[in-house]
Order: sequence, then C-alpha cells, then structure tokens
Amino acid sequence: MRHVEHVMGFPVSLRIDDEGDFTGAADAVFAWLREADVRFSPFKPDSEVSRYGRGALADGELSADLTEVLGLCADLRGATGGAFDARLPGRGFDPCAVVKGWSVQRAAGLLTAAGARRFCLNAGGDVFVSGGPWRVGIRHPEQADQVCAVLAVTDAAVATSGGYERGEHILDGRTGRPATGLLSLTVVAPTLTEADATATAAFALGADGPAWAAARTGCEVFAIDTARQVLRTRGLPVAQGLP
Amino acid sequence: MKRVIPVFLLTVAGLIPVWRYHPSTGSTTTTAQAAEPSAPPSPASSAPVSPASSSSPSSTVASTKVVPGTAVDTVKGVFQVEVTFRGDRIASVRMLQAPHHPQTKWAIPELVTETLKAQSAHIDSVSGATVTSEGYTKSLQAAIDAKGH
Repeated sequence: MRHVEHVMGFPVSLRIDDEGDFTGAADAVFAWLREADVRFSPFKPDSEVSRYGRGALADGELSADLTEVLGLCADLRGATGGAFDARLPGRGFDPCAVVKGWSVQRAAGLLTAAGARRFCLNAGGDVFVSGGPWRVGIRHPEQADQVCAVLAVTDAAVATSGGYERGEHILDGRTGRPATGLLSLTVVAPTLTEADATATAAFALGADGPAWAAARTGCEVFAIDTARQVLRTRGLPVAQGLP
Repeated sequence: MKRVIPVFLLTVAGLIPVWRYHPSTGSTTTTAQAAEPSAPPSPASSAPVSPASSSSPSSTVASTKVVPGTAVDTVKGVFQVEVTFRGDRIASVRMLQAPHHPQTKWAIPELVTETLKAQSAHIDSVSGATVTSEGYTKSLQAAIDAKGH
C-alpha cells in the first residue's frame, strides 16, 4: 500500500510492501505525525515547544516527549561545539532539526510494532526503510530531477540537509550566520533520529561538517561542497549493479 | 577537531616545565589556564604534579621515568597524559584520559573525494533537503509516488 500526506509542512510518503492490511497502522503513523506537529511546532503559539520557549511551562509540566527532545538538543549542541543550537539569539526555541527525525523514527516504530517488516517512509526527503535493500537516491543539489548517488540500504535511515530547497535556513550557531561551505550533506545511520540530527548539525558546521559527521558512531556520509566536489566515507552503501 | 589538538598540545607543552621543575609543589593552574583560557580552575590542578622527585636534571644516566600528568579540566572535558622521561628528555607522551567527545577523536575518518555526477536511475525513494509543498510537485519523489512503482 501507498499513502502520501502533507504533515508538519512537508510531504510524507509511505509505502508498505508486506502482505496484509496495514491501513490501521498507516493511519496511526499519520495521526502521530499530526500530533507531533501540534505539540512540537515552534510556529504554533500554543504548542508545547512554543510555551516552553517563552518560559510558560514549569519544569514539572514538561512531558516525557519534550524532555526527550530537549535531551537530544543538548547532546547535539555539545557535540557540535554550539554550531547546532535550538536556542539561537534573537530567535525563539526551535528544535525542528531534532523533532523531525525523532518523530518520524517513532512513526516507523509504530509500523514495526504493527508487524510491518518491509516498508519505506519518506518524510520531506528524510527516509527510513525497514527490510531491503531499498534503492534510495540522493537528490542532485542543482538538478531537481536527477540524483547524484544511489544507495542500497536495509533497516536504516538516510537524511539530507541542504540549502537548495528553502534557501539559507540553517544557521551556524557559532556565528549566528547562515552555514556556508556545503551544498548538501547526507547521512546514513541506523535511525532517523541520528541521521537527521547529524545531517543538520554537520551542515551547520560547514566545511568541518563532513569529517565531524563521519566521526559519529554508525554514520556514513555523502557531502557536496561548494566547489561541487563529493566527499564521502568509504563505508557508504553505494548501490552496485543496474543504474 | 583541528582546534582541539593544538589546544591539547599547548596544554601538554605548558605542563612539561611544571613536571620538570616543580615536582613536589608546582601548581598547574596558571599553565592550564594559559593553554585553555576558558577552562575553570579545577581542584585537580592544584594537586602536586608529580610524586617523583627529579634529583638530577642534568643527569647523564639515561634512566627511564614514567610520570602521570595532572588531570586538566578543560571546557572539552578532562585530559590527562602520561610522560615517559629518558634521562631529562621526553621519550613519549601517552593519553591516560580524554573526554568521550566526537571532537576529540584522534582517528580522523578518511573521506574519499569524487566528482559530482548527475544521473537518472531506478530508485525507490529520494533523500533530499526538506521539500516544500510547491517543491514536491516537481520532485522525483512525487513522480515515484504517482507512478506507484
């Protein structure tokens, strides 16, 4: 079965190849993503994240989920020396870079719990696959209808950060300026929580990003710098065989 | 990573005279702060640096002495090295303690460089920077979703 829906501001495509009726599980996936949007969007004034950001939530009022998100933000901020920061000066609290991967990974968990074993969930360009191998293309940064690499992935996540879709929206927390040095950076990791956060943070680090991401446990990297050179790890699961 | 190693080397370099000339009462606080200005003074820094006494700095006998360094608390975490002296020369420096931190990994992962290629290929899904609703209609993923296969 296949289903596409716009949630959290981007299209989410789900394909389940298992035999059987997974309509209920698919409904649960999109219900959770809509819930995550309501609770964790910094663009909705009444969301948990917005209320937390303006100091309207006491410590005892934080949900377990928000506490988990805050922990992920703090880990990433420390690991990047401040290049990733959910609290940039002059901006409200914005944990989007962490929430996206985390919430989609949880959605994938709902499918697994429902018995799905072979599925592909693509949330606005961040992909989690169960079973495999699945052929996941990396979008060419300058040609929307072309890919610049094809990966063969099994039970893994692929996330890409880049400035070509939404402009210079990723800031380097160390300088407060838009990140420079890379056209896009893709991370393959066991979970989308790790892949998405690492890709975003590495993009914020700019030229230092590829080596930083490659040093993260379990992460394989494919980066394109502004000189249009590809930098990738040796362990990247590049698809072999038919183009 | 690039920044941490020089800072660490400076720290080591800064500590060497302390080990050599103030074996029993020397304090590394000043040295550690000079090497890492933002490091808070740590209790460990005021501890005696070396339990060993260097009785003959100009000794011609090439005796080997292994001296553990002070644990230096930096903003990146606690570093501690061990220095092996052969006579009055440093034979080797070994890391005893380093923070578990991605930026202090010593093995820099090897990255392969390649030329950027553009290709159209059979794929199941596309990873890319977050697409907007408008961008989606023109995306490869939309084509894959529409085609159903």
